Amino acid sequence: MANQTGRNSSAQNRLAQVGEHLQSSGPKGKSALLEKHADDIVVTAALRSAITRGRKGGFKDTMPADILTGVFKSLIERSKIDPSLVEDIAVGTVLAPGGGATEFRAAAIAAGFPVSAAVKSLNRQCSSGLQACVDVANAIKAGMIDVGIGAGVESMTLQYGPTAVTEFSDALEEVEESANCKVPMGVLSEDMAKDKGISRASQDEFAAHSFQKAVKAQKAGLFKEEIAPLTVKWTDPKTEEEKEIVVDKDDGIREGITPESLGKIKAAFAADGTIHAGNASQVSDGAAAVLLMKRSTAQKLGQPIIGKFVNASVVGVPPLLMGVGPAAAIPPVLAKTGLDKNDVDIYEINEAFASQCLFCINELGLDQAKINPKGGAIAFGHPLGCTGARQVSTLLNELRRTKQSIGVTSMCVGTGMGMAAVWVAE
Amino acid sequence: MLEFRTQGFNGYSVKYSPFFDSRIAVASAANFGLVGNGRLYILGLTPNGIVAEKWFDTQDCLYDTTWSEAHENQILAASGDGSIKLYDISLDQFPIQSWSEHAREVFSVHWNLIAKDTFLSSSWDGTVKIWRPELPNSVTTLPTHSCTYSAQFSPHSPSVLSAVSSDSHLRIFDLRTPASASNHLTLKIPIHAPPRPKMGQPSPMGVPPSEALTHDWNKYRDGIIATAGVDRTVRTFDVRAPGAGPMAVLPGHEYAVRKLTWSPHLSDVLLSASYDMTCRVWTDGSAIGAQGPNETPDPMAYGGGREMGRLNRHTEFVTGVDWCLFGAEGWAASCGWDERLLVWDVRQIMAPGVQKF
Repeated sequence: MANQTGRNSSAQNRLAQVGEHLQSSGPKGKSALLEKHADDIVVTAALRSAITRGRKGGFKDTMPADILTGVFKSLIERSKIDPSLVEDIAVGTVLAPGGGATEFRAAAIAAGFPVSAAVKSLNRQCSSGLQACVDVANAIKAGMIDVGIGAGVESMTLQYGPTAVTEFSDALEEVEESANCKVPMGVLSEDMAKDKGISRASQDEFAAHSFQKAVKAQKAGLFKEEIAPLTVKWTDPKTEEEKEIVVDKDDGIREGITPESLGKIKAAFAADGTIHAGNASQVSDGAAAVLLMKRSTAQKLGQPIIGKFVNASVVGVPPLLMGVGPAAAIPPVLAKTGLDKNDVDIYEINEAFASQCLFCINELGLDQAKINPKGGAIAFGHPLGCTGARQVSTLLNELRRTKQSIGVTSMCVGTGMGMAAVWVAE
Repeated sequence: MLEFRTQGFNGYSVKYSPFFDSRIAVASAANFGLVGNGRLYILGLTPNGIVAEKWFDTQDCLYDTTWSEAHENQILAASGDGSIKLYDISLDQFPIQSWSEHAREVFSVHWNLIAKDTFLSSSWDGTVKIWRPELPNSVTTLPTHSCTYSAQFSPHSPSVLSAVSSDSHLRIFDLRTPASASNHLTLKIPIHAPPRPKMGQPSPMGVPPSEALTHDWNKYRDGIIATAGVDRTVRTFDVRAPGAGPMAVLPGHEYAVRKLTWSPHLSDVLLSASYDMTCRVWTDGSAIGAQGPNETPDPMAYGGGREMGRLNRHTEFVTGVDWCLFGAEGWAASCGWDERLLVWDVRQIMAPGVQKF
């Protein structure tokens, strides 16, 4: 037995020795990120509805909760997850009165989740959908739940309007940065474009490129994987006739857009301005959902793993410089994960305005070819609460199709914030 | 690419025979070298793939091996129990000689390329020992006072040897110096020291000391040694200018580097094997025209060297890599914890566009 004890302690020593070789290098860098561990938070299904034009598109007569219900049903169907295993559902939304809390709970039940599946709604403006995914991922990581869904939905047709912001009190108006929080996005982005010297021509070129990429992707059927077709009622504006239609493609994507054709549009927010409907995100309706769980859970349930969530960052910036959000949020999330900006294969950076997206790309020195390879919100729309969750399915599908691995989703957030997350496709 | 499975044994070291282009030895260990038996494989490259011509089982894990430079059938194995064993591959089962002097795991053995009646060993016990195969005891013991992962004789001078250890230093010993308190130690170069700042440029970043795991003497340029280890960085030094800091710094590996070996054919090319599961081929930037387009200069990089390609085929830590001395320049063998020996052509992973092999 003495001999055995000796052997065990020598094995311990050897293990410690080899362990030191690895520890000093730290759990950082791309190879560490690509490792697979049982406690990884993985995505086993990510999909979205089509994104349709506000007041004109396929979902103009559909309540947001109904789009959400449709997306949830598709998620259950595609992932074949037992709905009773889902413990919590977070839904990001920005405009819904009361935060949408009531109707989203009802939507989950209508979609087939048992009453045991909890639902919350949340609002971090344009990053609500991402925040929902991050919240669920963190709840799984912390051990609070095992299986959850991060989702987002917005009907800008039905809920976009002047009532979206509450009147400010005098106390808020007196503090300059506080008062800045309610400056409309278009106005402050115009000022920022002027301030940062982003020319009209460069914005139009960026926007036209977004359209062209989206057209190409749509023609090649690259959105098919991520879009769940929904059957909805739709009233024909010409004949007033109500009919049933299948919404299965983004109807905001327009062909034939060039920098020149965009150059003719009149600026929207200032006479000498640079921002107009063609180089800003579209007003849209849509929903998206992401199914999350630990790798060990996915393996136990036989769920197909399509990617994993790594980490996220959220950073505040001056309210009037809202658009710089991604430039502020991406470096910290890369630092947290030990990545170099060039290690990332695809960046999905929300195109709230061509001006701010372009600024962030230039500021970070990113490779244009890696940004939004299938187009962005300028081409197919930015249903506020949905976007963050929408980017996950867009990103993971494209990474998998092109056999790449590391992606970042990011967006600027109204009132001056930026959020970013690192994902790995598997 | 050819492959051989060292079933049940995780590779620790691989060496081509200096006598036959078709013979490869692999030192391996069960249970990742933590506890259990070792096995020394003698493999033959045949028209029908790689076959095990012979193997020797040992009581404890094997961590390194080196072929005799004097006798084509003799080979040494470094064992976890502190012993060094000499095998004759024309015989079966048992070593023809065994030496037990090291107090802890022997992690490297190396045969003198010039004085072919001498070999050395280095151990986690903090010593390097010099041996002659015909003597029952070591000839000399050189203390390093820290876990010594790798030691080598110079290929240019029979009495000069080097060692790297966990104290982040490269030591040079010269056995011609008189026996004294310094134990033949002639140089001690801090591996982590930053390169000397160039005029008009910011001084290079300092890094903390870290364990050095491997090193190798350049076969053409006398006095040039490459080192690497836990800090993931390959460096080259000129022992004739010990205070000058590294001549080349090659960052890129994502985990510790376990093995380095200079090309026997090209003076600026070396191979590395790492815990990051890759083997990489580098130029140290010393050859004219070797400096290529460097798209993303790493702030640590220095000296104009760069990675020229990598082998991504291993699925676990790569622990050993060696060049074939014969035939078309560029054949190499690598082994790792994935229980696989791979024989491959370095030129294939260097071709532009197929970096990911």
